Amino acid sequence: MLFHKNEAIPEYYEFFNSVKIISGYKALENIPFELSRVGAKRPIIITDKGVKQAGLVKVVIDSFGGTDTVIGAIFDETPQDSSNIVVNQIASIYRAQKCDSIIAVGGGSVIDTAKGVNIVITEETDDLLKFMGNFRLNKPMKPFIVIPTTAGTGSEVTMAAVIANPEKNIKMQFTSDLILPKVAVLDPRMTVSMPPKITAATGMDALTHAVEAYVGPQKNPVSDAFAFAAIEIIRNNLVNAVTDGSNKDVRLAMANASLLAGVAFSNSQTALIHGLAHANGGLCHVPHGIANSILLPFGLEFYIEKGPKTKSKVKTNIENLLLAFVGPDEFIKVPVAERAKATVVAIRKITEELNILSGIPLRLREAGVPEDKLGQIAQATIDDGTAAFFPIEVSYEEALGVLKAAY
Amino acid sequence: MQDMTKYKEIIPGKKRFETLVTRVFIFCLGMGMQTAYRIDPDVKKEVDSWPETFSFCMSVFGGPSLLMLKKAGSFQCLGEKEVFYCDVELCFKSIEYAYLAMTGRINTPNLGYHNRQFVKGNLKYMISIIRVMNITQTLLFPNFIARFYIKEVPKLTFKKLINRAITYFNVSYGAIK
Repeated sequence: MLFHKNEAIPEYYEFFNSVKIISGYKALENIPFELSRVGAKRPIIITDKGVKQAGLVKVVIDSFGGTDTVIGAIFDETPQDSSNIVVNQIASIYRAQKCDSIIAVGGGSVIDTAKGVNIVITEETDDLLKFMGNFRLNKPMKPFIVIPTTAGTGSEVTMAAVIANPEKNIKMQFTSDLILPKVAVLDPRMTVSMPPKITAATGMDALTHAVEAYVGPQKNPVSDAFAFAAIEIIRNNLVNAVTDGSNKDVRLAMANASLLAGVAFSNSQTALIHGLAHANGGLCHVPHGIANSILLPFGLEFYIEKGPKTKSKVKTNIENLLLAFVGPDEFIKVPVAERAKATVVAIRKITEELNILSGIPLRLREAGVPEDKLGQIAQATIDDGTAAFFPIEVSYEEALGVLKAAY
Repeated sequence: MQDMTKYKEIIPGKKRFETLVTRVFIFCLGMGMQTAYRIDPDVKKEVDSWPETFSFCMSVFGGPSLLMLKKAGSFQCLGEKEVFYCDVELCFKSIEYAYLAMTGRINTPNLGYHNRQFVKGNLKYMISIIRVMNITQTLLFPNFIARFYIKEVPKLTFKKLINRAITYFNVSYGAIK
């Protein structure tokens, strides 16, 4: 520590988010105007088959009606795990069709692919490998608008993208403030068709982003505000979004919560719970939101147990988080010593309710994880990129302990 | 007409002392890692898991750098060689941050938390490199100093003391050579 500091303010922090947020009823209709502001009128739309079949691309195209903006091309074959091959394919379509901007309509994979396409086009390359890592991009990117169709990933406001390279058998990660979209459009029409189980899983993903951003070592007053707001919105709306998916108010609230959590974790990284979820996804194909939902309470319990034995303030952060989960009236009734555990109880209450309503699993074994793979998952967790942001040191045995508790 | 001669170019100071301390420390760290590969089984296991001819660089924006290369069963400290390519580069954003880190006033995890350094290249190997650097720092420093550099200091054993003595010898020998 360099100097004595105010407890509420970190010794040093950085925060960045430049994305214009347009949220609400008929928000999509604003896109042609936003494009014209940056001199673009021929966007390529990048999406996937599921989004197209749900009729969401048509909603976007219809929103362009009555303007002189022309859609240069639509690419709707983005796979679940996008690769540099797909990125290069889309980039060649972009060039052939003389497009001048990019619109991503979809979830995390589509948005990450679009970010990759923007890098390839702007840097005039076909080799994404050269730009892997942090801050390797220097040129201002092409106009890029994101329309999320799930409420969980927060990719519309994060400065990272992950794209596979099947030839090298690696997942390339790109981090730069330049890959942030110009505009994120949250329109309730885009998430209203999500089935209950996906709504629950993506909502829990957003909740995990907010919780990890708030308890992590990179937390700062600005990201805290975003995380806190996200948790409050999720607490009040997630269960309703699962039970009453056609309610556009609730859908819009969840889309906003996901975005707020995205801003928070883009500036205060995710940690152990995401590390465990990445490892479960990579080795056992457990969907990311489901893995986060299962592991969130167990990860926090580990922090509560080990945190006080270290210099980390993670337990205090979890105690403070209770306010967002239960509101001020309940918060003051809980003694300080019990607040951390009460936070975990509040999270369990949400996941158990979602389990009854949508069938989202509560244990790793229910998610199809074989017990004999727990060792491999623990090793992959401590090797995961998020390990640099664990608030406390986590050994292989400790990671395995969390996995066994969640099994 | 305004007199333009009073507006002169200003060249900031060189921060020679900070640069010297950083240069010495990263040399010790490099030699320490080279030695640790030979004597510490945990470091050997980590480095052996990297691809053949794997290189990583620790650099300071506009300042000194250190290149490490794994090649033909050895892990070598190549010092301040000009870097044309390396698989992973760990870069401090300022010489001041590097100096604070080298003098134990910002520990390694906080460098990441504060965004005072960034990584170029394949992030997959970054965690493994951090583990190697952490173990090396426990060999270079007594435990009561090492706690300023890393998150959790392992217990001191007789083996660790012997390894520490070997590391001191090799780093000194490397400096003389």
